[in-house]
Amino acid sequence: MDLNLKLKKYRIKPEEYDLICKLLNRPPEGVEWALFSSLWSEHCSYKSSKNYLKAFRSEDPRILTDEGENAGVFDLGFDERMAFKMESHNHPSFIEPFHGAATGVGGILRDIFTMGARPIALANFLCFGDSESPRMKSILRGVAKGISTYGNCVGVPTVTGATHSESEYNSNVLVNAFALGLFEKGQKMISAKACGIGNLVVYVGAKTGSDGVHGASMASESFDSQIEAKKPTIQIGDAYFEKLLIEACLEVLEKDLVVAMQDMGAAGLTSSSFEMASRGGVGFNLNLSEVPLRDSRMGPEEILLSESQERMLLICEPSKKAQLEGIYQRWGLEFKVIGEVVQDRRIQLKWQNEVICEIDPDLIVEHAPRYQRPYHQLQVQDLNLLKNHLVQCEKDWMDPEWIYRQFDQRVGLRTEVGTGNPVASLRLKSNRNLGIAVGARPWLLKMDPKLGAYDAAIEPCLKLMAQGFYPQAMTDCLNFGNPEKVEVMSQFVAAVEAISDVAKIWKAPVISGNVSFYNETENRNIIPTPAVAVVGLKSSSDLKIGSCLSEEGMTVGVLYLQKLSDPFDAKKIFESASLFFKELLQGRVRSARLVTEKGLDYCLFKMSESGFGIGMSKNQTQLQACLYQYVVEAGPDFWKNLKIPFEIIGTTKKTNQSVNSKTANRFNQTWGLI
Amino acid sequence: MKVGVVQFPGTNCDRDVFQWLVDQGHSPTYLWHQDRFDRGSFEACVIPGGFSFGDYLRSGALAARSSVMKSVSEMAKSGKPILGICNGFQILCEAGLLPGVLMQNQKGNFIDDWADLKNPLNNKKIRLPVAHGDGRYFASSDTVKKLWDQNQVNWCYERADFNGSVDEIAGVQCLSGNVKGLMPHPERAYQNWMGSTDGWQFWI
Repeated sequence: MDLNLKLKKYRIKPEEYDLICKLLNRPPEGVEWALFSSLWSEHCSYKSSKNYLKAFRSEDPRILTDEGENAGVFDLGFDERMAFKMESHNHPSFIEPFHGAATGVGGILRDIFTMGARPIALANFLCFGDSESPRMKSILRGVAKGISTYGNCVGVPTVTGATHSESEYNSNVLVNAFALGLFEKGQKMISAKACGIGNLVVYVGAKTGSDGVHGASMASESFDSQIEAKKPTIQIGDAYFEKLLIEACLEVLEKDLVVAMQDMGAAGLTSSSFEMASRGGVGFNLNLSEVPLRDSRMGPEEILLSESQERMLLICEPSKKAQLEGIYQRWGLEFKVIGEVVQDRRIQLKWQNEVICEIDPDLIVEHAPRYQRPYHQLQVQDLNLLKNHLVQCEKDWMDPEWIYRQFDQRVGLRTEVGTGNPVASLRLKSNRNLGIAVGARPWLLKMDPKLGAYDAAIEPCLKLMAQGFYPQAMTDCLNFGNPEKVEVMSQFVAAVEAISDVAKIWKAPVISGNVSFYNETENRNIIPTPAVAVVGLKSSSDLKIGSCLSEEGMTVGVLYLQKLSDPFDAKKIFESASLFFKELLQGRVRSARLVTEKGLDYCLFKMSESGFGIGMSKNQTQLQACLYQYVVEAGPDFWKNLKIPFEIIGTTKKTNQSVNSKTANRFNQTWGLI
Repeated sequence: MKVGVVQFPGTNCDRDVFQWLVDQGHSPTYLWHQDRFDRGSFEACVIPGGFSFGDYLRSGALAARSSVMKSVSEMAKSGKPILGICNGFQILCEAGLLPGVLMQNQKGNFIDDWADLKNPLNNKKIRLPVAHGDGRYFASSDTVKKLWDQNQVNWCYERADFNGSVDEIAGVQCLSGNVKGLMPHPERAYQNWMGSTDGWQFWI
């Protein structure tokens, strides 16, 4: 085959081809093409982002994982540890919404239970285009159905999420899935580093099919008008197999039968085997003929690149093999020894008794190119520019309860507060609660990418604090356009700076994350969209802070955390929010809510769902325009020595205003859902 | 009370039901789908919700034909209490231990919500969480008439058109009353923080 055609087929750039030739001292041969194609893709190698992600590094002793594990693990004290992460599945969801969204959920769940934690909560961040743009209504239905079918079947509740709609997503929707898991007391954390010479390399889960071949390199490319042709790169999921895999894997981890484990996600068997070997500083002898196949016609290259779902690679001691095999068989899953760990730092691939490739895994994993792509520094602009947009946003927003009502929110007996509320709340055994909130507001990111990135992390922190949760740690899913464009790279660098700044100020480190570049279609890039999920902790379940007005005769006021007339100051926002939080911990706050872009009226409307309203002494136009403000219901003590600027707006009284479904219906009408 | 909790591949409310029983002072034991058990060893049995065998073929259809259900059937004949929740209800119908069948919700979507329920036998009202895709109860008009005449309908949704069930039926029992099936989840509502305590001492 002509070299240029080959480069195109494997999506390898000419300068990267030169680098490969230099590393190997010869041109790549046979399956090496496929190996470099997938592991050097942006999706697997993070070649444009890795240099900048160092900003997220933290010395926080509560972080229990090193870099390069499947998900971050965080110590909550009282013998409780959690693992969480958020990941994108944008490209597949646009091509094939149902399977794209479903396998996005599947992939993020595997990242969690691979660590040894039982997944207990899912959340999502979704951006759709205009309801009138081509295919968009069916994409929304497909994504909702995909998430619900998968999440409900595996028995993990979907407890919160955020949904947006902007025309910039018309030809590139965003589907980001978040998962959180808890470790059983005494369960050790499982690494993805292979070790122990002579140990077995074992394949478990579903059989390998030819779905998702070249998926990783597809996801590292912009869209053109030929998306139909990309369908074969889409993975097909089966939530039933995932459920079996969760139970079987947690059982073998509990019985301490494996030394390392990794899921076969992007770039399938290739990435899992090469990364495990490279991290552990060992080599593998792998026999590809042993891989269980759905289609016997598959060759070694397809086997290496298939992204068939619900498969794991694990390393075990030979003496544990029989017990391990028994457990996977009991759950009706494939179990096959496909190789062994060797001392030499090389991976030897065999196919039908012939060695087809022998290569140092580090060459592919560690020596992938790193790019310092050109960018310029972005600054936060004058907040006053937001004023008109804030007013406009108040009139135009969507209520996506139609989507969330399709998700099982209560399986697992932990959900205290689910969707339809500012933050989700889950009970822990220690009589404490975890809170989860998801941020990133496209309208703001479009106006000011740096401020929008600050907001992506600050808004969920403030929402959590209003409900009594102190932010502990966060994860991000950085959705951007084509990094080869200076504008996009500048937005990316600004976002990383902003989010790491918030993480430091709030002492809530970024413990995991994902970068999704090339969200570009026919030269149109999406709005820079760094989605952030923040997990907070409420130190006692008995601390009751509502998000609705709770009692007659209480004073209701607005706390100004960041006015539009003041320069943006993340530290000051933190300080004001912390002062408020101290009052809240003293029990002096009855209920509170952060005012969102939907405006103060909407906020008060939601707070009145409990049957209490306020007699307004001031109307909204008399109040200061803000980026961040809390509405707080409290007794007289609270307001006396408050060191945050505030304004009293009324007193609570009983109303007969019942919750009307007008707002939700408008969303449903727009999208043709009723 | 010694209670068996049946586990199929794909069952996902087994751990919740187990916890619910423990917290109410019972002694639950898991029963694996491939195994028979001695009906004498248990005083009651629960079939929890989930997606047994991935809902392949029809929800509950494959589970109804498993080994463990032969023992459940014997237990039912001996008059011991058996409760099927959600997918468990579907399995009991598919196994012929309860009349009727559960079909896909009228609007085709999975429903996660709270449901107000009424027991037409004693007018008792309760509130429980619901989470199902195939929750629309259906039976021939003769069967439904018989169910009402013989006092076998034990829970109905208060809201009309909740999921399209005939006569808003949410739960039924066998003629002798010991085998019960219910779509809503009592095990998810037995402490204040869960939003309702109506699932406490709900059954046995």
